[in-house]
Amino acid sequence: MKIPYFPGCTLHSKARGLDETTRGSLAALGVELVELPEWTCCGTVFPLAQDNYIGMVAAARILANAAKMEGGKLATVCSFCYHVLKRVNYAIKNNPEARKKLNDYLEENYGGEIETIHPLEICKEIIGLDAIREKLKRKLKGLKVACYYGCMLVRPAAEMNFDHPENPTIMEELISALGAEVVEYPGKTTCCGSYQVLNDMSLVKQKVKEILYSASARGAEAIITSCPLCQFNLDWMQEKLAEENNGFSKVPVLYFTQLLGLTLGLPEESLRLDEHYVDPKPLLLGA
Amino acid sequence: MAEERKMVNIYIMGKHYKVPYGLTIMKAMEYAGYRFVRGCGCRGGFCGACGTVYRKPGDFRLKVGLACQTMVEDNMYLTQIPFYPANKATYNLEELTPTLSTILQYYPEVTRCLGCNQCTRICPQELKVMDYIAAAQRGDIEKVAHLSFDCIMCGLCASRCPAEIVHYNVAILARRLYGRHIAPPAKHLAKRVEEIKAGKFDEELQKLMKMNKEELQKLYNARDIEP
Amino acid sequence: MEPLAKAGRELIERIKEISGQNASICMQCGTCSASCTGRDLMDYPPRQIMRMIQLGNQNVLNLKSIWICSTCFICTARCPRGIDIARLMEALRVINLREGREVLIAEKIPLEILTRVPQMALTSGFRKLSA
Repeated sequence: MKIPYFPGCTLHSKARGLDETTRGSLAALGVELVELPEWTCCGTVFPLAQDNYIGMVAAARILANAAKMEGGKLATVCSFCYHVLKRVNYAIKNNPEARKKLNDYLEENYGGEIETIHPLEICKEIIGLDAIREKLKRKLKGLKVACYYGCMLVRPAAEMNFDHPENPTIMEELISALGAEVVEYPGKTTCCGSYQVLNDMSLVKQKVKEILYSASARGAEAIITSCPLCQFNLDWMQEKLAEENNGFSKVPVLYFTQLLGLTLGLPEESLRLDEHYVDPKPLLLGA
Repeated sequence: MAEERKMVNIYIMGKHYKVPYGLTIMKAMEYAGYRFVRGCGCRGGFCGACGTVYRKPGDFRLKVGLACQTMVEDNMYLTQIPFYPANKATYNLEELTPTLSTILQYYPEVTRCLGCNQCTRICPQELKVMDYIAAAQRGDIEKVAHLSFDCIMCGLCASRCPAEIVHYNVAILARRLYGRHIAPPAKHLAKRVEEIKAGKFDEELQKLMKMNKEELQKLYNARDIEP
Repeated sequence: MEPLAKAGRELIERIKEISGQNASICMQCGTCSASCTGRDLMDYPPRQIMRMIQLGNQNVLNLKSIWICSTCFICTARCPRGIDIARLMEALRVINLREGREVLIAEKIPLEILTRVPQMALTSGFRKLSA
């Protein structure tokens, strides 16, 4: 099965691990992600001002181009890309002014036909967890994993329609199928601070501390996520936290597709475990 | 009896002139009495000095062309853009790595790209400008180098960008990084340089240097010319 | 009782137009403040910002809070009145940005961060915090 795929800028450079493990894992499960032939940055954020259409142009162009490919779907894994593509698609479908303006500007005739889909949804709904269980080459031996969703996948719930906004479980279901032991913790949809890493780093430090303590206090050995920015904030900030607090124990932060790839038997180099600040290898290779 | 010459109306910076049909914009402006001290270069469509923007009556669309290459059309309403201020980074190419971080260090504004595509629409060379900025944003230096190859650095793209990116400077950084750090070295060039250093051509060069003007002229006129 | 000054009324209208949200239905329950990601670092938490908007208080445009907001949408998700508070915060930022007032200056980003962050941070940061 082939699904058109939008990697997003970050996956091409700073988050190659997420890109390769997503493509590799889904390929091992029979789903080929076909990259859009030409694409630009999606814009990362959905414009919240009512009169800002230029902020939607890039995403609208991506969706219109995906509609010209076979499949009727567009897969993307970066949480920000997923958020903006889904919301622009929703706007085109439900807001006649947005649809007209964007189509006039782009000289396209796109009405919101594409279904934006996330690899977690592909795993659960298209491939099925039972099918995944059968294809595993190894299982995680009860590795305690906390699933971190962040903001962009689940909110606002009416438009994102991605699992429950306060207590999503789709990532936990997948990780259980891989043999991990799920760690439930209240911080799973807390914001990591996002782009404030550029403006007010103390906000990111505070939120990362909160999320990490929340997970590790309940026994998490690893945290998994779907967003390169969340991964960076949670991972890189641990260096600073460790400097300030001698008792701070680091927790590796991985992409969920890296664990999926590991259990499906993808070659170790393609997992790109070297590209993390907190080294996950000691934990994983014995997992 | 004077030959009837077809004339067209053009408007240079708002002022009306009648110029002969068949001239390029540049020749038409000189016909009208303008003398170029700027905005004119190779006159061959290569240097990017003569970027010209124009409109036709009843049509809101902006059109663009190089003055030395574009023919005048009736009722063209045109102007030339002066040199557009550009943010140009200085760097030592030898010290740079061909990565996304290098691009972001010198031109972080590429991340402000809105995807509006105005740069592509205004490019007189019909390059895929937005696409190469998108490639720059994701660190694909080779793609930037290939897509921007025919850029003549006229500056029209920079004049239209709402994110205030100077596309051609980003592109030339990418082409330099590609040429110096990514593209495989030309083996035949390296070989030829070795031959020169080893003195293979010394005798020929000495012979040429001793010739007088007539002998050189004879040799020049009889040279091999590629078909 | 002094009627609401003209500038205040115009501000309320402008915020309503840009955000599409009617701040007057806010009942000041404080759920947004309780949930807000940045509340510890903000000078005024979301509930108080809503009150300032209701009162047409011009100072709401000069608060540090609007630049600490990370657009996490928790306020929007939890507001019992269904107000999209994230859109209101954006309107306050947008009014400033469109007049050239910004907080993220490219040259001031430390080089280490500039070259290490995933570039999506720069893209989103510039869109939300720079003019």
